[in-house]
Amino acid sequence: MFPAPFTYVRPRSLDEALHFLADHAEDTKVLAGGQSLIPLLKLRLVFPRFVLDIGRLEELHGIHEHGAAIEIGSLLRHVEIERSELLRRAAPLLAETAAEIGDVQVRNRGTIGGSLVHADAAGDFPAAALALDAQMVIRGKAGERVVAAQDFFVDLMTTALQPDEILTAVRLSDMRARFGPRTGTAYVKLRQQASGFAIAGAVALIALDASKKITHARVAITGVNGIPYRATGVEAKLLGEVAGDSLITSASQHAADGIDPLSDIHASAEYRRGMAAVVTRRALSKAIQLATKS
Amino acid sequence: MAINPGTGSNGVSGTTSNGKPARKRSVIGKAQTKIDTRDKVRGITKYTDDMVFPRMLYAKLFRSTVPHARIKSIDISAAEKYPGVKAVLTGHALPVAFGIMPVAQDEHVLAYEKVRMVGDAIAAVAATSEEAADEAVQLIKVEYELLPSIGSIQEALDNPDTQIHSTSENGNIHRSIAYEFGDVEAGFAEADHVREDFFFYEGNTHLALEEHSSIGIWSADQKLTLHSSTQNPHYLHRTLAKVLEIDQARVRVIAAPCGGGFGGKCDPFNHEIAVCKLSMMTGRPVKITLTREEVFYCHRGRHPVLMSMKIGYKNDGSITAFHNRTVADGGAYGGHGPASMLYTGVLQTTTYKMPRYKFQGARVNTNKAPCGPKRGHGTPQPRFGQEVQLDKIATHLGLDPAEYRKSLLVEPHSLTANWLPIATIGLKKCIDKVVEGSGWKQRRGNLPHGKGLGIACSAYMTGAGTAIYWNAMPHSGVQIKLDRSGCVAVFCGVTDIGQGSNSMLAYIAAEIFGIDPFDIRVVSSDTDITPVDLGSYSSRVTLMAGNACVQAAERAKAIIVEAVAPKLEVPAERIVFEGRRVFDEEDPNKGMTFAEAVILAETQFGTLGTTGSYKPPKWPGKYRGAGVGPAPTYSYCASVVETDVNPHTGIVSVPRIWIAHDGGTSINPTLVMGQVEGSVYMGLSETLFEEMTYRGNRNVVHKFPSFLEYKSHTSNDMPDIITYLLEDPEPNGPFGAKEAGQGPLLPIPPAVANSIFNAVGVRVDEIPITPDKVLRAIRAKAKGQEGRVGPMRFPEVPYPDPIVVATPDDRDHVVATGKEPVGATK
Repeated sequence: MFPAPFTYVRPRSLDEALHFLADHAEDTKVLAGGQSLIPLLKLRLVFPRFVLDIGRLEELHGIHEHGAAIEIGSLLRHVEIERSELLRRAAPLLAETAAEIGDVQVRNRGTIGGSLVHADAAGDFPAAALALDAQMVIRGKAGERVVAAQDFFVDLMTTALQPDEILTAVRLSDMRARFGPRTGTAYVKLRQQASGFAIAGAVALIALDASKKITHARVAITGVNGIPYRATGVEAKLLGEVAGDSLITSASQHAADGIDPLSDIHASAEYRRGMAAVVTRRALSKAIQLATKS
Repeated sequence: MAINPGTGSNGVSGTTSNGKPARKRSVIGKAQTKIDTRDKVRGITKYTDDMVFPRMLYAKLFRSTVPHARIKSIDISAAEKYPGVKAVLTGHALPVAFGIMPVAQDEHVLAYEKVRMVGDAIAAVAATSEEAADEAVQLIKVEYELLPSIGSIQEALDNPDTQIHSTSENGNIHRSIAYEFGDVEAGFAEADHVREDFFFYEGNTHLALEEHSSIGIWSADQKLTLHSSTQNPHYLHRTLAKVLEIDQARVRVIAAPCGGGFGGKCDPFNHEIAVCKLSMMTGRPVKITLTREEVFYCHRGRHPVLMSMKIGYKNDGSITAFHNRTVADGGAYGGHGPASMLYTGVLQTTTYKMPRYKFQGARVNTNKAPCGPKRGHGTPQPRFGQEVQLDKIATHLGLDPAEYRKSLLVEPHSLTANWLPIATIGLKKCIDKVVEGSGWKQRRGNLPHGKGLGIACSAYMTGAGTAIYWNAMPHSGVQIKLDRSGCVAVFCGVTDIGQGSNSMLAYIAAEIFGIDPFDIRVVSSDTDITPVDLGSYSSRVTLMAGNACVQAAERAKAIIVEAVAPKLEVPAERIVFEGRRVFDEEDPNKGMTFAEAVILAETQFGTLGTTGSYKPPKWPGKYRGAGVGPAPTYSYCASVVETDVNPHTGIVSVPRIWIAHDGGTSINPTLVMGQVEGSVYMGLSETLFEEMTYRGNRNVVHKFPSFLEYKSHTSNDMPDIITYLLEDPEPNGPFGAKEAGQGPLLPIPPAVANSIFNAVGVRVDEIPITPDKVLRAIRAKAKGQEGRVGPMRFPEVPYPDPIVVATPDDRDHVVATGKEPVGATK
């Protein structure tokens, strides 16, 4: 349980970090909160020459609001997201998702950027990022680029981020400004007991018009597939319909359409397929309830 | 057949030495603090890994990455050159095979011809730091010639030519046995109904928080000391002498304070021997502390067991015959396996009347981590099957499962069909307690769909009747030393693994000497200093070491009385020890302090010391193997489990468990409750969560040897537990005590399964009961299929011909009629 020897590097600024990465990208792992990287190091699943600790870079920390646009620094810790008044109002889904991650220790150390970049098949934030149409702000030696969440998650533990790049922020819009005043969101997952990872998790975002007709439906699933995905089959069944229990139940049946679910010690593929529908139904029901109330 | 109640080999029943009825007890039966608790909760206790010796080296093991292979070459040259490395050891230096049971000597400290599992140790490195040892180990190169691997019971049976051990009985069948007590076919013919059920119980591990840790110290005067986190220093002592080929008298084993055992620290382990050898090579102390991953490879946990239970019963539910077949997956090595295999059958008769019984058991080897004794040792698996089957019979006959069990109970002071001596049995009271507490009669059947109540019972040995190696010496010994300071020191080989055995000795001595438990110094588990005790296994310690302690203390008390009585001019039988004083029962002012009394005795008789010892009674069965199963007495337990089953997810939550335990008189009820509730925790966690899982059969590597993925209950998952202690004294136990550490685990898995059936009407006939399986059964039932998940068949196993033994009832019949019994007995 000793990591392979490595050199620890702590840059004083983002520029210094990017400069270092430009020269050593292939030999370096970036350390933020350490909740994914440290276990990988200790298990020697990765053995980089350098560990670049960006954890103390103030410029990657903080939440900024410009009108309806919100920018979240990639180093924001889960606990900070969970407790942010701004996010609880403007993007309650993120705060709710943060509260469901791992345990207290993980939430105190882990960062949103780390979670998104690690892209675990059962991670919590990636599904929320998909549902909220989050934009990933990425810096590299060539400058800044912005990638939509939909294009960011490429494969199991693989993202669009290049080895010489750093995720600096996540951009999203105030939920109600974007989707309307009657918008509700929810995150429901079946937890794997030991780790807290999702066996199946569903994020739902529902916007209603005055007649309770669904104007926006976003459903994103985690833990079921190698990467989080939008359950477009469910969304299509919901859109334009009047929200109701039987609609939710029948739409939820499409939660794993076109997906070949994971099968492992925690659950079989068949069980995950079934649970995708169950968590989708529960998340939709909760989101619609909240949308109706608001 | 009735036998006389035992009186214990020491005739101990809690009376005072003068034979009058016991005075009111001041220690026994009262809630007491453990004598070592304060240091433990303050972090002062030194566990093995906390110990540091001058010039100490650190060891690491190189472990196999393949499941089954011949070793072609081992290259340690780069490791030897690594900075800080002082010695590298390979298996050629230690060719003597070992294993805790004389019939299963199939382990080597380091493999040098063949590896049999991923994790088998091949080389050991000692270096000046743990990091250096770890780096050096990774420089070792081993060339393998891969062999086909065996990943399951079926594969072991199907591939006898891919033999894992050449010493096995037959192919990959490590050991097998068959007994027939009475004519079982005749029993089935008498029955109104016969049913056969198949069950499977997956393996799981102990999960003690402390990883195994050992320090070997070879001294310049050619003596060896091993500090180790072990449950059984005595057997380890013998193994070290054997494998290292040194005189037993030069070997000292000290069991350090232990951070949890549960059976996982019973076997002598290769790392314990390796650090001794490395110390002999370097002349320096050598420490090893295993990683969590390595603890998963050491394992010795619950055997996966496949079972077939065929039972004949009358319309009133009474059992006419029982045929139990088991196959256990033993993993790569023998260890306690032959005993584990026997325990999947021999105790099936100890709870319910079963006039004829046939048992066929086998243990196969596979290329997986070796299984062994985990809390309940071989008995939770068949107990699960038996209790679920009884539930099915109750359903079939329309009987209340609690009342049905009460109608079947064995008689106190009787012999079972396989000649096990039942002493006291409080099971009827246990059932009544949990039935009343849970509101069974009012609630069961009136709960909404998804909520259920289930019941199950159990029995467990209070100490094994036989030592692991054949000998006629005591199973436990105690020495007591008293001196003019008033200090009482109790020396005993027992190993306190957290269960409180040191405290138990202090309570017993304190009660007899009329002093406070904290006045007593307990010195334990040091093979140089303390008399032999066989170890902390088989729930034997309180009864055996406790009885030995009673004997030693009563002898010391008699010496003190002999000095005090003339001095006080009071008849000996009137002398009382109480409140740290020794005085005249009729005139309490006439007396002296306990310390003054000891001074009187030391003045008169010289240096004071007494001994006590305990040997279990001879077992009544005379057939081969009759020594496995008998115990001085059995504990009994009943439990009702409430479940809440979600029909959409299959997730089972358990809001409440009621458990009643017949553990005789509690020496310290607080610790007994702790054992009962700890057993419930462990039983529930292995029922719902835990399993040893391996990747594909060709690459038999443990999937998740870590806390990160191996699921166990935490306090978040624990239900409310309502515990009842019966407190009926057992004449064979010290102050009436029986065991508490293992039996209460046993009813939990079947009670959960039975409760799920009550909640949603489906049967999961295998452990663990995961949401996946529950949901599959619910969906099958909804489609009109059988609402059951579990094994569908039982394999062909080449069991030996049964040893046919007449039952005690047959024997009584012979005595009455003068005719020879059916079948020969040995």
